[in-house]
Amino acid sequence: MGTSQHSAADSRAHARGDAGAPGTAMDEARLRGGHGQAGEPLLLVDHVRISYRMRREVVTAVADACFEMRRHERLILIGPSGCGKSTLLKAIGGFLQPDAGTIRFDGRTDLAPGPDRAVVFQEFDQLFPWKTVLENVAYPLRVTGRDRAGARERALEFLEMTGLGPAASRHPHELSGGMKQRVAIARALALEPTMLLMDEPFGSLDAITRARLQRELKRIAQRTRVAVFFVTHSIQEALMLADRIVVLSPPPSTVLEVVDVSDIDSPSDSRYLETQGRLHKMLGATDEDLPDVQG
Amino acid sequence: MYKAEPETGQSPALQVPPQRSRRAWWQGAATPASATGRQPTWWARLPTIVRRTIVFVVLVAFWQAYVSLKHVSHLVFSSPASAISALITGWSNGQIAAATATTLEVLLIGMAIGLVLGALFTVLATATTVGRDFIMLMTAMVNPLPSIAILPLAIIWFGLNNKALVFVIANAVVWPIAINMSAGFTTVNPTLVMAARNLGLKGWRMIKDILLPAALPYIISGVKVSWAFGWRTVIAAELVFGTAGGSGGLGYYINTNQYFLKLPNVFAGLITIAIIGVVVEALLNAFERQTVVRWGMARS
Repeated sequence: MGTSQHSAADSRAHARGDAGAPGTAMDEARLRGGHGQAGEPLLLVDHVRISYRMRREVVTAVADACFEMRRHERLILIGPSGCGKSTLLKAIGGFLQPDAGTIRFDGRTDLAPGPDRAVVFQEFDQLFPWKTVLENVAYPLRVTGRDRAGARERALEFLEMTGLGPAASRHPHELSGGMKQRVAIARALALEPTMLLMDEPFGSLDAITRARLQRELKRIAQRTRVAVFFVTHSIQEALMLADRIVVLSPPPSTVLEVVDVSDIDSPSDSRYLETQGRLHKMLGATDEDLPDVQG
Repeated sequence: MYKAEPETGQSPALQVPPQRSRRAWWQGAATPASATGRQPTWWARLPTIVRRTIVFVVLVAFWQAYVSLKHVSHLVFSSPASAISALITGWSNGQIAAATATTLEVLLIGMAIGLVLGALFTVLATATTVGRDFIMLMTAMVNPLPSIAILPLAIIWFGLNNKALVFVIANAVVWPIAINMSAGFTTVNPTLVMAARNLGLKGWRMIKDILLPAALPYIISGVKVSWAFGWRTVIAAELVFGTAGGSGGLGYYINTNQYFLKLPNVFAGLITIAIIGVVVEALLNAFERQTVVRWGMARS
């Protein structure tokens, strides 16, 4: 990416001491979401700044992001639109380099794109249209070194797991949006990634399909113990899926707070509504906006 | 194009709007019957093959009736019956077959050279901006120029032989191929490229497994256009060569028979040209249906 610059808002964010800047012990504790835990985190995002060129000006999407993620954790990144959520995910995926700061994943900082961080994108057209559903899942396994029979067997197994067995011989354009996203998830899971990177994968789905896939994803993540880094702008989705929620401010963004919701299981829990309200406030909702709670 | 664009997810140099992207601008727009919003008539409901056959039979009947009823001189016009009998005779005595073989040989050599050069130019245009400017400029300049127009030059450079023909054909083929292929590569869906990079794919395997199939709709339409250009050009060039060329392709066959006023043979040559054109286009269309249409990457 091009040269970067500190914007005025950037330094205001520092002055407020919202997050990011090396802070007090209280700040540190808040960023970890209350649970101090020993051991190396799976992912450490340390004072990361990412900006990019748009025509003439340089836009700072992420001003200063700091958070960490544990192994087997489901971490949801939430924030208003344009706050650089996807940009941050792409940086973790190795698709672009931060302008400042470091991203440490599994002990490494030189992050090229790799199947240990399998990505599921929001776009339905992330599947290879010239391959069948089965080939779409099997091909990445071939690339990462399995033989033909092994790849096929494993692909079928993951298609079964995501309920796609009957669609194995179809081409992507013959699937609904929800099924396409399911294939993308199966394809990513079959790679046995250390971490699943999900960039609003359910963002273009209807509400019912979306809720169903959220439940399935949670079930599969709990079963396979894969770490999930999930970007969304939906508070409902975040509360449904997360162990912890990282809240980003509007751009140029910093981490406002990390909220631990791992012990909130159902929307009937009184803390659910309270956390939901708090997240709405953090994301800049006014009281008038609040009745419209579904993200 | 391997560079991820933050947030927007759009390739910056999208030359063709996605909806029309499957067709090059010289192919015109597709107008599906359903777009008119009217109920299809009984005629439109018939299978395509039946409709086309009926139209064909009626046309031939008119042709035969015209020749038979008006007693047109056979030195000016042939009836379909005599044209077909000349076609059968020409094929059975080997004259048309030999002429066809000559024409196809020259055409295939010319097209092969054009395709290879077109692919090279595509690599240049995909890799560098200068390369892309070069392709765009050359196509814009050469496109309004019928490729047959450079035959006189080619004859001076290469002499009165097949090399001149091959040069003209290669020139007719290389530009549509280059512009279609490079459009195909530059408009590969960036999400697809990221999904491939996510697997650690790069280099030749990325090109072979991802970029080539992703660009296939454009490549096929490039080949279709260059076939059409090449086929017209080779016949025209052979006609201009006339008796001077000597080696004798289909254009030469038509020219010679015209010289000796053997009109049925002229028609037989024309019919052969039309049939080969139709057959090759049908083969290319069948290939298209088996690949990009079946994959939902292009409409039939």
